[in-house]
Amino acid sequence: MNIQLALLLFAIAGNSLLGLFTFYKNPKSWTNRLFSLFTLFLNSYLIFNHLSLNQSSDEETLFWIRAVMSNAVILGLLFYFLAKTFPQKEFILPRWQLILSLVATTILFFLTQTDLIFQGYENETNNPIPGKAIGLFALYTLIFLSGGFIELALKLKNSTTIEKIQTKLFILGTIFMFVLILTTNFLFVVVFKATALVGLLPLYTLAFVGFISYAIIKHRFLDIRFIIVRSIAYTLLTLFIALGYVSVLFNFAFFIGRESPSISTLQQFIVPTILAVFFAISFQPLRRLFEKLTDRLFYKDHYDSNTLLWNLSRTMASTLDISKLSSSILGQLRDSIKINYAVIVLIRKKTIIWVGSSGNTKGRVFKGKDILDIIHKSHTSSRKLEQIIIYEELSEGRTKDVMREHGATIVLPLIVHSDLIGGLLLGEKSSGEIYSSEDVDLLKIVAPEVAVAVRNAMSYDEIKRFNITLEQEVKNATTRLQNANKRLKELDVLKDEFVSIASHELRTPMTAIKSYLWMALNKSPQKLGNPLKKYLNISYQSTERLIHLVNDMLTVSRIERNKIEIKKQPFDIIEILKLIFDELKITAEEKKIKLLLKYNPGEMYQLHGDKEKLREVFQNLVGNSLKFTPENGRIVIKVKKERATIAISVSDTGSGIREEDQSKLFKKFSKIEYAYANHSSQHGTGLGLYISKQIVSLHNGDITVQSEVDKGSTFTVRLPLIQDKGGESIKHV
Amino acid sequence: MSDKTAKKIMVVEDEQYLRELYVQILQQEGYVVDIAEDGEQALAKLTQNEYDLILLDVILPKMDGLQILEKLSKMGKKNFNNTVLLTNLGQDLVVAKALDYGVRGYMVKSDFTPEELIKEVKGYLENGIVRSAL
Repeated sequence: MNIQLALLLFAIAGNSLLGLFTFYKNPKSWTNRLFSLFTLFLNSYLIFNHLSLNQSSDEETLFWIRAVMSNAVILGLLFYFLAKTFPQKEFILPRWQLILSLVATTILFFLTQTDLIFQGYENETNNPIPGKAIGLFALYTLIFLSGGFIELALKLKNSTTIEKIQTKLFILGTIFMFVLILTTNFLFVVVFKATALVGLLPLYTLAFVGFISYAIIKHRFLDIRFIIVRSIAYTLLTLFIALGYVSVLFNFAFFIGRESPSISTLQQFIVPTILAVFFAISFQPLRRLFEKLTDRLFYKDHYDSNTLLWNLSRTMASTLDISKLSSSILGQLRDSIKINYAVIVLIRKKTIIWVGSSGNTKGRVFKGKDILDIIHKSHTSSRKLEQIIIYEELSEGRTKDVMREHGATIVLPLIVHSDLIGGLLLGEKSSGEIYSSEDVDLLKIVAPEVAVAVRNAMSYDEIKRFNITLEQEVKNATTRLQNANKRLKELDVLKDEFVSIASHELRTPMTAIKSYLWMALNKSPQKLGNPLKKYLNISYQSTERLIHLVNDMLTVSRIERNKIEIKKQPFDIIEILKLIFDELKITAEEKKIKLLLKYNPGEMYQLHGDKEKLREVFQNLVGNSLKFTPENGRIVIKVKKERATIAISVSDTGSGIREEDQSKLFKKFSKIEYAYANHSSQHGTGLGLYISKQIVSLHNGDITVQSEVDKGSTFTVRLPLIQDKGGESIKHV
Repeated sequence: MSDKTAKKIMVVEDEQYLRELYVQILQQEGYVVDIAEDGEQALAKLTQNEYDLILLDVILPKMDGLQILEKLSKMGKKNFNNTVLLTNLGQDLVVAKALDYGVRGYMVKSDFTPEELIKEVKGYLENGIVRSAL
């Protein structure tokens, strides 16, 4: 096997693989179809060319040269079509162009088989003799090639980013190949009559293959590693089958053939047939076996995208803590795809609000405006439907610079309900390889899920922080309240002190006034004249009222501070009512008022209470009645039992209290306009009934009023009766 | 009344008019009356002399009534049976504290006419009527 043949086989193998896989990658795309067809004719071109160089007779050489030329005609056409279509899926060509080019190709195809292109072969010089229409072939080639190049040039000018790069690579590869072919296989042959370099042709196509491959590798038409791995698998498979087939046949012939030298013709056919059937059946399992073996060998860093997706989903479902979630997601992505770093950047409006990273970011900060811009750009990327920025696919510019600066290879937007909430930035692969189409597909699936998870976590985080703030607010408010309460308590103590001191200070001079007025009235050495005695009396009574008022205010203050002390003891209510009756009888007689105390002498009205305080209550009630009952009136104090209570009522024949005033009676400083109040010589303090009600309440009793204007009032105090255990009344003392 | 063995009464009162009044009405009843105008004076006299009845005001200059009781108590006086608070204070707490020292009772000055006061004093000196509560 000479070098030429080796080169040829190598180039054919490369071209075939590339052509086939390109076709299978997307059989519906016309670019892929045309490219496959082109490689097919390129291969046949190479084969014919090789054959033309290795023939002994002139006729045969001429035949293969003509075959090469026919092939070249078709290649020219395909090249034009490919250039016109690339890299679109649709084949768009005006009908007239299609017909014209097909007609021209057909004509020229047949012309190449005639003397008009090459009329003979000169054995001495090893050169074919050009025919009369060789110029036509040259023109045809020129038109189609330049047409193709013009198409590509236009595309290069009009296309952007990835399409531009693809086109550039296509042009470079093609120029490289065609220039070489034209130089060595046409110019040299026709002009210099030299065929020495014709044998290098396969290398040129290899260059073409190289460029296209580079475009493919770099831009994910299909995974080159996959092609290589599968090629190896198929080669091994073929070798295995061939060796197996041969060895079985050989052994069969060797062992069986020797024992019975006369092998029947039937046997000679049966054995290979059985073998063929066996290999045919075992082909698929064998193929899978080899594929698996090679996969294991070559895809050591391969990851299972399903497992990764499953793990990511689980992570996203199981945590709401934004930091944990982010580091877990990024960590898993990094470990699986093997990238040096991964970053999640969250944005709100025009600011970056949160950055989480995993891996070695080399101290890069992902907080600048450039990052924000990139994320926005990824959202409105030129690959609109895909919304991803891939470093290799970018044309030089600001975005690419920023990505280079940050060592970022991929930027994916994080979108929830068409709102851009942030971006996912990925660094380079540790292996230095580019991201495979599988990686990109996976990331496109992952990004929306990550977006939702991150957004949920952020919301949770916000609620959590809000809760903390709220808690703090409540705490502050509570502290303020506590302080206010403390201050109020302090003020209350101050108020108590004030009331106490003020009352003391008031009572001291009042005591002096009262005492000396009393001395003047009662211990005067001279007999007092009538107006003077009256004046002194009025002064004395007023002083008494003033002292009462101060005392009542002190009592109210004590009640309200819950500082009033109730010293309870069992006693008969009649005991104190009698005292009051005796005490006030004189006053009543003076006012010509009939004062009566009614009760059943055979009964006991025993209760549990503070004698002194309750005496004040009834003194106050009877005193009021006395104050407000006109002459010849009547006041009745009545005591009776009502089941478990004693009801003590004080009824008078006063002018009564209007119903709307009745509810105000027991309030502090209630100002009830009694019709005769002005006539009364004694004014109340406005606190008596209030104090009475409080004291009765402290005894678990109540005080009520019934009154009719002009007829009189009845105040009733109900207090709990002591129930004697034996059912008998306690003896009246 | 002057023919009786004269009882000795100490009036501790800072208010001049009241002090004069008490002295006057008590002397009229035939009692021997000593006075103190402030806490320190009161303490000095109380430690030197003995009295049948001490009418002790609470709010006093230099040393208040309760402090006097405290000092006397520390000096070893155990029996305050001859002491009655005569005050215009409205604070139960102060009164309760004083009662803790074992004073006989207390009177709110403004609640008594001179006649009633004498009646009370007589009561204390003869058999000891203790007025409780307000």
